[in-house]
Amino acid sequence: MRMDTVIMGGGLSALTCGIALAKRGQRVAIVASGQSTLLFNGGSMELLGCVDGKAVTSPLEAIAALPAEHPYSKLGADRISELASEAHSLLTDAGIQMEGNAAANHWRITPIGVAKPAWLTLNSHFSIDSLGQLPCKRLALMCIRGFFDQPNGMLAEGLKGLGFEVDKLEFTTDEITALRRSPSEMRANSLAKRLVSNASLQRVADEINRLAADADMVLFPSVLADEDVIQTLKSMVKKPLRLVATLPPAVSGNRMQALLRHYFRMLGGNYLMGDTVVSGTLEGDRLTSVTTAKLGDMPLRADNFVLATGSFVSKGLVADYERVYEPILDLDVDADADREQWTRFGVLEPQAYSRYGVKTDAGLHCLKQGKPIQNLRAIGSVLSGHDAIKMGDGTGVSLLTALAAAQSILATK
Amino acid sequence: MADKMQICNISENNFEQCTKCSICTTVCPVAAVTTDYPGPKQAGPDGERYRLKDPAYYDKMLKLCLNCKRCEVACPSGVHIADIIQNARMKAGEGKRASLRDTMLANTDLLGTMANKVAPLANATLGLAPTKLVMHSVMAIDKHRTFPAYSRTKFETWFKRHAQSSQDAYPKHVSYFHGCYVNYNFPKLGQDLVKLMNAMGYGVHLLDKEQCCGVALIANGLYKQAKRQGRVNAASIRQAVNTDHRTVLTTSSSCTFNLRDEYPAILGIDTRDVRDNIMLATRFIYRLIDEEKVKLVFKKDYQRRIAYHTACHMQRMGWQLYSIELLRMIPGLDLQELEQECCGISGTYGFKKENYERSQAIGSVLFKHIADAQVEAVATDCETCKWQIEMSTGLPVENPISILADALDEEATRQANGL
Repeated sequence: MRMDTVIMGGGLSALTCGIALAKRGQRVAIVASGQSTLLFNGGSMELLGCVDGKAVTSPLEAIAALPAEHPYSKLGADRISELASEAHSLLTDAGIQMEGNAAANHWRITPIGVAKPAWLTLNSHFSIDSLGQLPCKRLALMCIRGFFDQPNGMLAEGLKGLGFEVDKLEFTTDEITALRRSPSEMRANSLAKRLVSNASLQRVADEINRLAADADMVLFPSVLADEDVIQTLKSMVKKPLRLVATLPPAVSGNRMQALLRHYFRMLGGNYLMGDTVVSGTLEGDRLTSVTTAKLGDMPLRADNFVLATGSFVSKGLVADYERVYEPILDLDVDADADREQWTRFGVLEPQAYSRYGVKTDAGLHCLKQGKPIQNLRAIGSVLSGHDAIKMGDGTGVSLLTALAAAQSILATK
Repeated sequence: MADKMQICNISENNFEQCTKCSICTTVCPVAAVTTDYPGPKQAGPDGERYRLKDPAYYDKMLKLCLNCKRCEVACPSGVHIADIIQNARMKAGEGKRASLRDTMLANTDLLGTMANKVAPLANATLGLAPTKLVMHSVMAIDKHRTFPAYSRTKFETWFKRHAQSSQDAYPKHVSYFHGCYVNYNFPKLGQDLVKLMNAMGYGVHLLDKEQCCGVALIANGLYKQAKRQGRVNAASIRQAVNTDHRTVLTTSSSCTFNLRDEYPAILGIDTRDVRDNIMLATRFIYRLIDEEKVKLVFKKDYQRRIAYHTACHMQRMGWQLYSIELLRMIPGLDLQELEQECCGISGTYGFKKENYERSQAIGSVLFKHIADAQVEAVATDCETCKWQIEMSTGLPVENPISILADALDEEATRQANGL
C-alpha cells in the first residue's frame, strides 16, 4: 500500500502533522498502537513553563536562550511565534477552543491544586492570567460525592494558597449515586457518559445553584463530555462556571484526541488504530517501507515517514537492563550509556531520562550510525533535548515540531 | 532466588504489562451503559492478580463482556485484555451448564440446516408477534429482536449445482470459507464473491469439510464443541493451503478473526502454520490490485452515498483499510468512514432477553452517527453488525464484496483480465 507520508505513532504530534499534510492534499496513514498520552491531558498546552526551576513568564524570550540541542532551537527561535500561531489555528479548526498567548504565559491549575505556567487552555477550563491579580475572590469548589479522582482537599488548599476563598461543596444526584455501584469505575469518563441529558444536567445545576449561592465563581470537575454539554450546564447555573482538571484518564484529553482524529479523517487521512510498526526497510539513506503487526506481509510504502512514537510510556523509547533504544529501526539515541546515570534518587528531582530521545539533525531528520535518513523525521516526545515534566514544554514541542516537519515534507518535491 | 534476571515479559497475555492506566475502561461499550460490569481493567488484568491467588475471586459479571476487543485495541501497553477475560470465563467453567437457548443460538449449523428446510415458513413465523412472544417467554430470546431471514437453498447447494463445474477452467484458484451467514441466510454474498473472483480470473472452491467457525459456541461457553469443529476446520484449511496450494478467503470479519486468532488464543488450536493464508477477500483482492496483477472495472452509472462501519473484530484485525480502499475505487461511490463504535449486538449476545436493552444502549452512539451521516446505505464486513444496524436504523447494510460485485462492469473486467 502506497502513501505520500506514513506517520508512526498516533498521538498529539502525529495527528497535528497528519492534519497539516492531509490539508494540503497528501495521502497520509497514521499507525497508532493504542491510545496515546493525549488522553491524560488536563486541558492545556505548554510552550515553555520552567527554566532552571524558575517559572517562565515570556516563553518567546526564554526560548531564544535555550541550548542548541533543544528541539525549539533546532526549529529556530525566530519561527516559534509563527508555528505557535499555526498550531493554535489548527486546534481551533479541529473544534478545540483554547485561549492564550505565546508571548505571555498564563496559569493553569493542576488536579492537586498547583498553579503551573501554560500557553493555551480550553475556554471552558479555569485559568488565571496573573497570580498577582486574581479573576475573583470566592470560589465554590463542587465536589462529587464518591469521586476520588478529584483530590478536593489538596485542590482547595492549593487555591487558598493562591489567595482565593474556597468553599468545598459536596453534592450528588441520582445519576452520580447510581454510578457508585461500581466504585472502581467512578471515573471522570464514566461520569461524562452519564451526564448528558438535559434532565441529568438540570439535577446537577440545581445542586450547584442551591449550594454555591455565595460564590463569585463555580469550579466544577472536568467530567463533561463535550462543548454542548458544558454550555448546557453553564446556561442552567446562575454563577459563572469553569472546569478544573481531574486525575487522568481525562475527559478533556479524550475529547481533544477524538476531535483531532475526526478532523484528520474528514481530511481523508487514514488512522490505523491498534496497529504497531514493527520494522522498516532502509535503502541507502532513505526509508522505503515499514511493516506493521496487523498489515503483515503488505508493507506501507511512502515518500516520507515521520517517527512520532512517543517516549517510554508509549514505547517509542525502550529501556532494558542494558540500554535505552528506539525499537523500530534502532536509531541513534541520546541517552547515557551508564545505567546509573539514568535516574537520580527522589522522584520529584529532575531526571536525566526525561531528556532522552532520538538524535536528530537541524532538520529533525533521524540519524542511524551518525548518518541522517533523508526522508525520516522525528517529532514530539520521542525527540531528545527537552523535558516535559521539569521544563513544561511537552505539548509545545509536539505541536511545533509536527508543523515544522509537515512544512519540511511539503517543501520537498 | 533466580540466578538470572528476567529481562522479558513472560506473563500470559502480557497481563504484567498493565500499568492500570484505565484507558481500556474509557472505550469499553459495556461499562459505558451499565454499572453491573466492572470494566475491562478490573475484569481483566486487575482481576487476574486476584484470581491467580484464589479462583473464588472470579466475578460472574464477566459474562457481560461482549468480547469486542476494543480494550485491546486501545491498550497502550499491549495487554491482551479480552483474552484474559475469555480465558477466565473458560477456567471458571462457564458453559458447563449452558441453557437450551444458548445451545440453540450458538449452534448455527444445526439451526441453519433445520431452518433452510422450512425457510419460507420459518421466515414467516419468525416475524410474527405471537411467535416472538413465545420465544421471548419460553426461550428468553428477546421479542424485539428481528430474526434474520433464512434462505431456501444453502449456498453450498447452489454452488455445487450452478458454479462448481466451471471453476476449474480459470487460470488461478482460491478456496472459500463461506461461514454460516452466507450458507444459511444470505447466499447472494457468496455468489457475489464468486462473480468477483471469476471476473479476475480466479476459480473458487469450497473447503473439503466446513463447519461453523465456532465464534458463537465460544461466546456461549460451549468450548468442547467449538474445539471439535475447530479441528475439522483447521484440517480442511490445511488441506486447501498445503495440498491444494490455495489461499482461503472469507467474507465475514468475525469468522476470519476467529479462525486466525481465537483458535490459538482461546481454543488452543494452533493455526500458526496456515494463519497467513486465511484472509478476508478484500485484503486478497486489494493486494492483487496494488501489485497490478488484476484490474477491476466499474460501471460508470453506479452512484451511491454510503458510510463504512468498521466492525469491532475488523478493527482488532486492523484490516478495514483494505475494504475501504477497494470501495474508494468505485468512481461513483461517495464513501465516508464512520468513527469506530460497537453496534452492540455481539453475535448471539443481543438476541438474549437479558441483554437486549443493553445491546441497544451500546449501539445508540453508532446509530446516531449513522443518522447524522445521512447516507443511503451502510457497508460493513460483519453479518451480525448488518442485522443490528438494519434493525436499529432501517438502512440497508451490505458487505463490501456485494457492493463491489454490484458496481462491477463484469464484461469489461473479464476483458481487462484477459478472460
